[in-house]
Amino acid sequence: MKPARRLVALAAVVLLATAGCAGSESGSSGPIVVGSVNALSGAATFPEASQAAKAVFDAANASGGVNGRQIQYKALDDKGDPAAAAAAAREVVGRDEAVALVGSSSLIECEINNKYYEQQKILSMQGIGVDPACFSSPNIAPVNVGPYHDMTLTLLYGSETLKLNDICALLEIAGNTLPSYQAAIDEWSAITGKKLRYLDATVPYGGSDYTSYIVKARNAGCKAITVNPVEPDSIGQLKAAAAQGWNDVTWLLLTSVYSENYAKAITNAGAGVYVPAEFYPFTDTTSPQNKDWRELMTKNNIPLTSFSQGGYLAAKYFLDVIRGIQGDITRESVTKALREMKPITDPMVGTPYVFGPGQTHHDNTAGWPIKLTSGTNKWELAADDWLRIPKK
Amino acid sequence: MLQGALAGLAAGGLYAVLAVCLTLMSRLVRVVNFAQSATGMFGCYVAVFLSVHAGLPTWLATVVGIVLGGLLSALLGWIVSTWLAEADTGTRSAVTVAVLLLLISLSFILFGNKPQPFHPILDGPAVTVGGVVISQVTVVTVALAVLVAVASRIVLSRTPAGVRLRALSERPTTAELLGIPAKRLSVAVWAVTGVVSTLVISIVAPSQSNDATSLAMLVVPAAAAALLGGFRRLDLAVAGGLGLGLIQGAAAQVDGLSVVRYFLPFAVIVALLLWSQRKEVWDAAR
Repeated sequence: MKPARRLVALAAVVLLATAGCAGSESGSSGPIVVGSVNALSGAATFPEASQAAKAVFDAANASGGVNGRQIQYKALDDKGDPAAAAAAAREVVGRDEAVALVGSSSLIECEINNKYYEQQKILSMQGIGVDPACFSSPNIAPVNVGPYHDMTLTLLYGSETLKLNDICALLEIAGNTLPSYQAAIDEWSAITGKKLRYLDATVPYGGSDYTSYIVKARNAGCKAITVNPVEPDSIGQLKAAAAQGWNDVTWLLLTSVYSENYAKAITNAGAGVYVPAEFYPFTDTTSPQNKDWRELMTKNNIPLTSFSQGGYLAAKYFLDVIRGIQGDITRESVTKALREMKPITDPMVGTPYVFGPGQTHHDNTAGWPIKLTSGTNKWELAADDWLRIPKK
Repeated sequence: MLQGALAGLAAGGLYAVLAVCLTLMSRLVRVVNFAQSATGMFGCYVAVFLSVHAGLPTWLATVVGIVLGGLLSALLGWIVSTWLAEADTGTRSAVTVAVLLLLISLSFILFGNKPQPFHPILDGPAVTVGGVVISQVTVVTVALAVLVAVASRIVLSRTPAGVRLRALSERPTTAELLGIPAKRLSVAVWAVTGVVSTLVISIVAPSQSNDATSLAMLVVPAAAAALLGGFRRLDLAVAGGLGLGLIQGAAAQVDGLSVVRYFLPFAVIVALLLWSQRKEVWDAAR
């Protein structure tokens, strides 16, 4: 080897090595890594939240990124499995050194990972929080209302707006959710001074025939039933009531059944299905509130659902906050900015979003009432403003 | 309690029909068909797909679905009787477990994991007994269970084909040597049970939860019912199915018992096995 060549080779090696180093550390010129842990496969899947967040980040990258840096968004799958959820969090937080988690939507992720996030001093802006830990952990602040406040809202709507007495609750309990639902019902009782006619917390997930539960509710004199169902179960329950000829029962349900698919499957909705939608109803196609979201989702072929609303908002709030950071964007600076952020208002939700320094984050307390009536097969607005849980 | 029990009858009728199918399969072709309800589910899903996306009228789509369920079952039967003709019941049944899982996964892949917008073939109440409404679906499933059991009984005891089938199930080798077309008859049994289970699931699916897993897993309570007749007796299979439905319905009315309700099929299976094996001594039972 001639000396000149040796020099070239040496230079090449040095160059490659430094390039390698630059790629592995998230310096102030490399991409900003943002992660999320989602139910992408398994028994129940909601891929739309992270897809929507990705669409927001892609659009931001296309227009120059944040302070000249691109956002690298990693949406991992928790497979509905605790071990996979823990592994996914460690991969994106530990190995990829994400600065924050944005737009996650999962049934178990908060419960499994909230302690780990505290250890790693990383914050998660959940797109759709479901399990109770999403709303009771210092480092997780979901964008959505969540099933528990949603339960309070649906009961408020039933008892105060529809003036229904004799409301019964059929709860499908998975894991440790019962105390949270009980607290939501107690909150409704504290506000209205009313009690449920009865509460049955033994309703199974994925039961095939709900006739016996329906017969029991009817015999107990329930005029309305509140449930926290997944879509197929709710369809089963409504059909069981229809088969029994029980056509004057009102259903007070949660955002979990708010979908086009559900509306198509329900021909007989009794005296109506009422839901406080956690975000401005996406079935109102001409609304200015959802215009930007709708255009972005349609452009990227992402289904128009509550989940994609949550993911979209989480990413939007996040961009707002990190664009205001002076200096380097790191996990520390992002965490500090989220802790100190000013509330962000958005027409898609009824409550301004703020992460803040709190030990728990359960502050979104407004839903937009919508209804599904027999024979229409489509959701309609049932109010012209947000329904809010009154401040204590 | 009584009202709850009657409310469980629709499910009971469904279990009974599937239990009769399971019993026939076990008696005539030496298979415990775990994919019994999965083939029905798949046929129904195709029917829904055809009616929603291809615009076929509901009745026609349902018929196509039922035929497809029969064909699927026949294909499975053909595979089992071609390559596992001499295998023991356990091995033949194991194949159907694979098919059960395959069909659940396949329906997720093809139709997604969201429930399907089934259009009801039968809808609403039929009669009211003591304040409980007996739905049309209940009447039809219970009638169908009895009908299928009685028809099978008549076919097996009064017709030449039935006699051949019985010969085949009692002494397969001897029957084949006598020139009885074993494979054709076996596949026919598979096809018939496939058609019957798709038919009953088509009737029931619109009136209850109808995601792929819960429909495919109906085979568990059906197996519990079939076990009452030891996978041999059709009348006990029907009684077992109806009884299980009644007990489940009644259990749901009592808060303390409703938790148990979904373990009932398993409890019944365990209890029946313990009872039927009570005289076995350890070495013989192994």
